[in-house]
Amino acid sequence: MFDERDHFALSHPPSAPSGHLPPHAGEGSGTHEQPAVVAEALTKRYGPVVALQDLSLQIRRGEVFGLLGPNGSGKTTFIRMLAGYLAPTRGRLSVSGLDTVRDALPARRRLGYVPEAAPLYGHMRVREFLEFMGRLRGLAPRELAAAVDRVVERLALGDVQRKPTRALSRGYRQRVAIAQALIHEPEVIVLDEPTNGLDPRQIIEVRELVRSLGGTHTVIMSSHILTEVAKTADRVAILLGGRLLGVRSVADTPDLEDWFLSLT
Amino acid sequence: MSALAVLLRKELHATFTSPIGYVLAAVFLLVLGYSFALTLFATKTANLIYIFHQMYVLSILLVPVLMMRSFAEERRADTLELLLTAPVREIWIVLAKFLAGLALVYGMYAGSLLYAVILALYGEPDWGPVYSSYLALMLHGALLVAIGLMTSSVTENQVVSAALSLGLALMLWFADSVAYLLPAPFDAVAINLSLIGHFRPMVTGSVFVSDIGYFVTLVMLALFLTTRWLSER
Repeated sequence: MFDERDHFALSHPPSAPSGHLPPHAGEGSGTHEQPAVVAEALTKRYGPVVALQDLSLQIRRGEVFGLLGPNGSGKTTFIRMLAGYLAPTRGRLSVSGLDTVRDALPARRRLGYVPEAAPLYGHMRVREFLEFMGRLRGLAPRELAAAVDRVVERLALGDVQRKPTRALSRGYRQRVAIAQALIHEPEVIVLDEPTNGLDPRQIIEVRELVRSLGGTHTVIMSSHILTEVAKTADRVAILLGGRLLGVRSVADTPDLEDWFLSLT
Repeated sequence: MSALAVLLRKELHATFTSPIGYVLAAVFLLVLGYSFALTLFATKTANLIYIFHQMYVLSILLVPVLMMRSFAEERRADTLELLLTAPVREIWIVLAKFLAGLALVYGMYAGSLLYAVILALYGEPDWGPVYSSYLALMLHGALLVAIGLMTSSVTENQVVSAALSLGLALMLWFADSVAYLLPAPFDAVAINLSLIGHFRPMVTGSVFVSDIGYFVTLVMLALFLTTRWLSER
């Protein structure tokens, strides 16, 4: 098992910290720019079970948006619908104005997705896996090597890029999963519980990475840990029992805990 | 590179780096070699008809095991989520797995060409039935791969996938046996569904478009259903 403890410093390209959003992304800023994500009366049923009910929200470009809620609240269902893995039972969901069902393939091209389990192909080496995901996302051969080099550097994967993915530790697996989501420079990056199963140092790394992505990308992440979302996101939505209970700016809500408790 | 080519490359790599394929191919060729030697010494005729029937049965037993991993393993390892959220159509994912499965099965069949070469060296076989038998085997193999893919797409349990696939292939094999129990026109349907009923004429050298159509139709139906089930999310 390869251990990543000696390689904590992820290299971030210069970008605006997510706390300093572009003017159009701020709370209440009147803007004509299209939101990155729009959900309208989104509902998902599994037979008689309602996983998500009438969820409507808009996520602005360049913001880090946190989805907070306990297990079974509908976070993963929403994220999977956004990634195109699940189709809504009712309602509409769009990424950069593209419907996730009607314009499924163009919508998926604008999105990078990291599933909760950080799945990787065990028979591939790290670099080979990233090349495969890059090709799958339509990168031309002349762009591919540079794109892989870029994410390998950004996620500090240089030491493990020749290792089989099955030999990686949980922390490195998560990094490789994030790297594959970034390889095609998507407009929207979706992370399902990205800090699950990581040790405290790895959690800090992922948090820093997510914040560094904000501003240049729209980042949507789910978590069931309130402090995690509070430290990472610009705005937070609380989900419970498949319903959206509220959306607030983290900066404007000094006592996020009280607000959470008052809603749940 | 097109999405299909990217996916096919990945599937071929996964197929030919897994030991399962090689182990099953070795078993296939070992049993076949044994049967070939036995029938050759017993009949003393340059005839491969027994070997083709042997390959028919062995394929029904082994191809479900070869194919049980295809989607079931992707589901178990959660990698199916990566594929289905990538900007590629489900049909390309299905076709890539189908073609990779075919490559392995046809590779196995290619090993049996050795017996045809041995017969050509020491006898004068009738080549017409040999060619038509290989056509029958290729169609039969394609159908079994497509069925294996279909059953693998409905479960994450590989054993269940293999059992379903084997069950379906056996039901098709013996479909004509139940015909006498059924009223018209269902008896005719059962007879026409019979796998061996469409395989046997080709092995004896009679190639009918209806037999080829049977295999092609069922392969397309299985691939269509696999794609549909994959899209139902």
